[in-house]
Amino acid sequence: MNHKELIASMAAKMNAPKSVVAELLETTVGTCTELLGEGKTIGFQSFGNFEVRKKEERLSVHPSTQIRTLIPPKLVVNFKQSNIIKDKLKDLPHHE
Amino acid sequence: MNKEKISSQEIIDLVATKASVSKRAAEEFLKVMITTIEEALMAGDVVKIKGFGTFKLQWNEPRKSVNVQTGEEMVLDGYHKVAFAPETTLKDLVNEPFAHLEAVQLDGENESVSPIKPDEVALDPLRIFTEQVTEIKDLLSEIQALSTKPQFVVESELTGLVEDVDLPVSVEFELQDDEDEIEDVDILQREPEVLAIDESIQIVSSFDENIVQENKSIGIQKNEDKVYLEFGSATVLDSEVVLDETQLLLDEIKSVYSNSDEQTELVSSVEPSLEQNEDVELESTPYLVGAKPMHRMNKWILASIILFVLIGGSAGLYLFYPPVTEFGRSAVEKSAYEISYFKNIAIPNAFATVKGWFTSDSIKKGRSVGAVVPKIAKKSVLVKVPVDTLKLLLDGPRVYEEYIATEQIDKSSKLTTMSEHYYGSKDFWVYIYEANIERIENPDVIQVGTLIRIPKLDSRLIDASNPRCVQKAQELHDKYVKKITL
Repeated sequence: MNHKELIASMAAKMNAPKSVVAELLETTVGTCTELLGEGKTIGFQSFGNFEVRKKEERLSVHPSTQIRTLIPPKLVVNFKQSNIIKDKLKDLPHHE
Repeated sequence: MNKEKISSQEIIDLVATKASVSKRAAEEFLKVMITTIEEALMAGDVVKIKGFGTFKLQWNEPRKSVNVQTGEEMVLDGYHKVAFAPETTLKDLVNEPFAHLEAVQLDGENESVSPIKPDEVALDPLRIFTEQVTEIKDLLSEIQALSTKPQFVVESELTGLVEDVDLPVSVEFELQDDEDEIEDVDILQREPEVLAIDESIQIVSSFDENIVQENKSIGIQKNEDKVYLEFGSATVLDSEVVLDETQLLLDEIKSVYSNSDEQTELVSSVEPSLEQNEDVELESTPYLVGAKPMHRMNKWILASIILFVLIGGSAGLYLFYPPVTEFGRSAVEKSAYEISYFKNIAIPNAFATVKGWFTSDSIKKGRSVGAVVPKIAKKSVLVKVPVDTLKLLLDGPRVYEEYIATEQIDKSSKLTTMSEHYYGSKDFWVYIYEANIERIENPDVIQVGTLIRIPKLDSRLIDASNPRCVQKAQELHDKYVKKITL
């Protein structure tokens, strides 16, 4: 499901025009990215937590050439699902 | 890192104010959004949100585990997990504080091929160097005590060598101007020297054998004339005393070479002269090295090359990292600079030490920190000023006297957005906060209607492209946020 499909399906549920939904989604995403950019954690009760984590610097060795490279520390976004959604997903059969 | 958690309610409030809709509408929207995403995921679909990232369902296989208390084996069930992959824009935004860092390759390609441990590689040559340097020192003092011509020896030791190497080459060039193999000759010319370095210990003590070895290395060459010319130059390498003699020889060879058809004559004329050479060599050795055997000479050459390289290297270092005012200070700064370059985390400490040096000057001057800089620059001889200016700027206390604008806080205004508007980056909001610190209790929650003055800042201080400025702002950010949360 891509961005447009998401907006369409949400608009159908909310009985609202797509343009309004699109605008709202944009502001929501904007707010979330901004907050994450400030290093804050965002928690959606029923869904999960978005969190900024720091990956420490590390030494990597290229397996074939043995070249060692110092990888600098970095900040990444991490998503951890809430237990609520985990429980819901338990009912889902495993197909693969 | 700021670990403040923002609940969905706060998100709803923010969205409501930003999109100017009622909170209820925003809440409903968020709920619908989450349920839609959930449903799509449940249906095994991938949900992609533009500007944010992709949600995907991931199946984690059941795995075996051991109960830590009882040691019993058990099987953990497999489960589905919502995986989130952020888009590049979000990744970059979040990683902004560290964006200036790049991966550093530690090994050169040559070393990496060999399996030798890097420590050994670094240590061994160093030890050899120091050993040889002490040896040279001993020899020099010995010579200075004994020799009748101490000046000459020292000269040949330090500078003569390089010239020696060059000289024969030029002779060769003269001789073989018309030929195409000049380059080949040049390379071969250097070969003996390289050999001498590599196998200095193995090269046998007697001069004759030395020549034989060189003969071998040059032997690849087919042109006999050249071989003999090489001989001449090789001997020059060995001793300065022989230099004049050899030059004569070379001249002789040159004259012979001009009518080079008579090869036999050439050989015969060079061979005796080589013997002569040897004699001179033997004569010269007593006051050069005393009773030392010939391989010492080779070591000498090697050692003097190393000495030369060391001197050149230290001169280069001096040029690149000139002392600032005092030796001690420059050392501290340099180390601080290096630490900061490699480990961002170490910066606060480094700054603290450096700060210690400057505080006496800069504290009183306050805002006009810039004025202190030229003074110090005058004292220092060379060009390390830009680094110091910035350091002073960053470390000096900030006094806000001039203001470029005044803003009234309303519902949606934030210090970060103001900072972005006036200074070009969100990171520098701390300076606005500092300038208005008596009016703002908590930078996150400012009373609506508060008048905020935007201070005028030195443009170098708010250079968003300079990682050090951003770093400083981040430090201040952390400091204030910590203060507030405490």
